[in-house]
Amino acid sequence: MVLSDQEVNYFINTVKSISAYDFSEYSEKSLKRRLQKILIDNNLDLIGLINKLKTNPNFLEKIVRDITVNTTELFRDPAIWQTLRYRVLPQFAQNRNINIWHAGCSTGQEVYSMLILLNELGLLDKAKIFASDLNTEALETAKKGTYKYRFNIGYLDNFDKVIKENPLNYDEYNDVAYEKYFKIDKISDTIIINDFLRKKPIFRQHDLVKGGNLYFAKFDLILCRNVIIYFKYSLQNKVFKLFHDHLYTNGSLVLGMHETMLGEITSRFEKKGQVYRKR
Amino acid sequence: MYKAVVIGGSAGSFQVITKILNSLPENFSLPVLLSLHRLKHVRSGFVEALSIKSQIPIVEPYDKEIIKPGKGYLAPSNYHMYVELNKRIALSTEEPVNHSRPSIDLTFETAAQAYRDKIIGIILSGANKDGAYGLKKLKQLGGTAIVQDPNECQVKTMTEASLKLTPADYTFTTEQIINFLLKIK
Repeated sequence: MVLSDQEVNYFINTVKSISAYDFSEYSEKSLKRRLQKILIDNNLDLIGLINKLKTNPNFLEKIVRDITVNTTELFRDPAIWQTLRYRVLPQFAQNRNINIWHAGCSTGQEVYSMLILLNELGLLDKAKIFASDLNTEALETAKKGTYKYRFNIGYLDNFDKVIKENPLNYDEYNDVAYEKYFKIDKISDTIIINDFLRKKPIFRQHDLVKGGNLYFAKFDLILCRNVIIYFKYSLQNKVFKLFHDHLYTNGSLVLGMHETMLGEITSRFEKKGQVYRKR
Repeated sequence: MYKAVVIGGSAGSFQVITKILNSLPENFSLPVLLSLHRLKHVRSGFVEALSIKSQIPIVEPYDKEIIKPGKGYLAPSNYHMYVELNKRIALSTEEPVNHSRPSIDLTFETAAQAYRDKIIGIILSGANKDGAYGLKKLKQLGGTAIVQDPNECQVKTMTEASLKLTPADYTFTTEQIINFLLKIK
């Protein structure tokens, strides 16, 4: 199933005209691939898909969910978590509150990684955690905090790197048991996040394309990792502006390992690695 | 006349790729896009290893980075690397394709769509079939398809799969690949 650019545009325009979703500023290559995959998975051609979208609102919601990419893992890219642990979070230690927004939280592994880290730093009680995603199904998984063990076993290594070891001091070793934060059940093949973490975040559906601040709050820290790679440059800049508006001065935005800010907006942040601090 | 080189490799390609990169002059006139499989737990250090003797700079690009001549772009570990029509890099964490992320097929196909008949695609040693479909698309769009001589490959599965799917313009040894690239004006 190979789609032309015109066909992709036809899809974008149809969705835009019958719903509140707008994919016109999504990266072309990945959007086209997602759409091709959707057609194959649903055994439809483009016309069939469009007809079904027009008559079936639930199907439209499902397709919107399928377009989003939900790759995430516990402590993905340990280097960033080490930066958060030793450089970024300590800056907020004296605050009365620490507001954190996970923009594009997918199935929630990043949110729980943050909660674990905050707890280790003794900052959990001060923290208010907001987490949003476009994909409502991913949000439901995030709320449940239950994951397949065999897909996540490899990431316990990440946990060790961030929580047990200190890259600045090889002699240091914190023997933190996994059970402190999650229950591993090999028989039912699950990792279940402990209740005291699960009840903490406020999960909401939110579309970054539409902007706005659904929490009516300002933030000390915003994490948005491997989300903007699916957006065109123009939309990336709108999203950066949105984040800038809702960060406190000296608050920080954290991007994914291979994401960067380009253009005029960079002057409003001080960049150090993947951390962009609002001037 | 050429505007880009795209290279795909997997098991047994590391020495070949370093030989090729080390032979390219500092002022090489094309960008070199590299989509290489690596071991799951070797996530860092690869770009440094490729850079040791290379005269052209090798980077793991950022999303939306502009592709420039005389520079090597290595698909970052755990990301697919696409080329957008405006000759910028696009990265993606979509699910692996044929168990691979980066997927050589996806880099080849999108690079070919961007550069059409102005691209050289090279498939090297490897233990799976990734890249075969990408090279076929590249050839269909007018690009020049080169496959490393399977007899020279440490693991010949990938090159044989490519040759089975589409006849290459050239089946070359590492030396011949280097000579071909050095003759490009």
